[in-house]
Amino acid sequence: MNVKEYISSGVVESYVLGLLSEPEKQEFEAICAQYPEVLAARTAFELALEEQLMQDAIQPPSHLKQQVLERLSSPGQESKDVYEEDRAPVRRIGVWKWVAAASLLLLAGAAYLAFTANSRYENLRAENEGLRKQLNESSGQLAQLQSEVDALAKPGMKLASLKGTVIAPEAQVTIFWDTTSASKDVYLMVNNLPQPASDKQYQLWALLDGQPIDLGVFDTNLTQRRLMVKMKNVQNAQAFAITLEPKGGSVNPTLDSMYVMGSL
Amino acid sequence: MSTKVTYEEYELVAALRQKDDQAFSYLYDHYTAALHGVIKQIVGDAELANDVLQEAFVNIWRRIDTYDETKGRLFTWMLNIARNAAIDKTRSKGFQQSQRQLSITDGEMIQISVRPGIDDYGLKRMIHKLKDEQRLLIDLSYFQGYTHEQIATALHIPLGTVKTRIRSALTQLRALLS
Repeated sequence: MNVKEYISSGVVESYVLGLLSEPEKQEFEAICAQYPEVLAARTAFELALEEQLMQDAIQPPSHLKQQVLERLSSPGQESKDVYEEDRAPVRRIGVWKWVAAASLLLLAGAAYLAFTANSRYENLRAENEGLRKQLNESSGQLAQLQSEVDALAKPGMKLASLKGTVIAPEAQVTIFWDTTSASKDVYLMVNNLPQPASDKQYQLWALLDGQPIDLGVFDTNLTQRRLMVKMKNVQNAQAFAITLEPKGGSVNPTLDSMYVMGSL
Repeated sequence: MSTKVTYEEYELVAALRQKDDQAFSYLYDHYTAALHGVIKQIVGDAELANDVLQEAFVNIWRRIDTYDETKGRLFTWMLNIARNAAIDKTRSKGFQQSQRQLSITDGEMIQISVRPGIDDYGLKRMIHKLKDEQRLLIDLSYFQGYTHEQIATALHIPLGTVKTRIRSALTQLRALLS
């Protein structure tokens, strides 16, 4: 037997603290009787433990001693329990342990349910939020369309259909001009226009006596989402044209990039 | 006790075996605080600790003839009587019902907090220097009296591992003591 290894295995402390099973205890006692080093290690640990517990102790109330002495001198009050030092206490896992375990399980179950209910709630809330946003957007678009339709339906609304030029024969734009109102509002509806390069914008011009009047630039992605785009107004016009200009528009139209044109 | 008598341990044991009242009085005075401290750490409650301490001393007196000095020091023998009495008390029905709240919250679980007056002295103070897992194992086995088998089942650790870990924790405890 490797005595050193045995001594440092923790068996000595287990024995002294009463944590060994009955067979382990008997084995230890036999080895202790055989090997003085093991006995010395046991005594050393006992002394260290004793010293620690003696100096780090808590005095019980002083009246207790009298009670103990009285019990010792009155055999009628003998204790039924006899605590043997060599009987390792065996603790039963009592009913409360099971109740505790069951409670923990229940708690875990409840927590799980609460968690799933909460995440369902969160999902529904997010969904609801999304639907509300969608509804707001749709309502806005509907109102927009409604106002555009109302504008179209005005009695004095004039219409100019602009046809594609040689550079874009398929292009087509319709201009609505509210000639009866004082403001003479101009609306533009894109039927078909090629997507411009990102640094270019289409610009609408009114033509009066051969002179172009700037009516503003517009984005084709805007015209895709709306039926009509309101442009700058104009008091008098004989025709309308659209050119492709550098972003932001030009003072004078670039005539060789005219896409559509048409008169009233 | 007007005259202060001191004993060598073998003298004390011999006198106790003679049922010498003075020797018992000395034994009580000398060791009561140490045993009381350990008992209190096991049962927690001060009143219960006093009851258990009485039981323990009555049993020490009655069973002194069974003490075998070849198996260990007198203090070790008394300590084990006190510990067993305390653990038996915690197993009684009355204790389990009055303490069940405590045992659910901090008995079987790792004790995170140090209870003042209970965990801040003696062995408990020592084991608070160990790792959580080692502290739990010593708490369950020494202070709560569970067998290695019960601990293995409860913690889902193989029995051999429980034993090895408890012993390794105890060797560290010894290092802390010396």
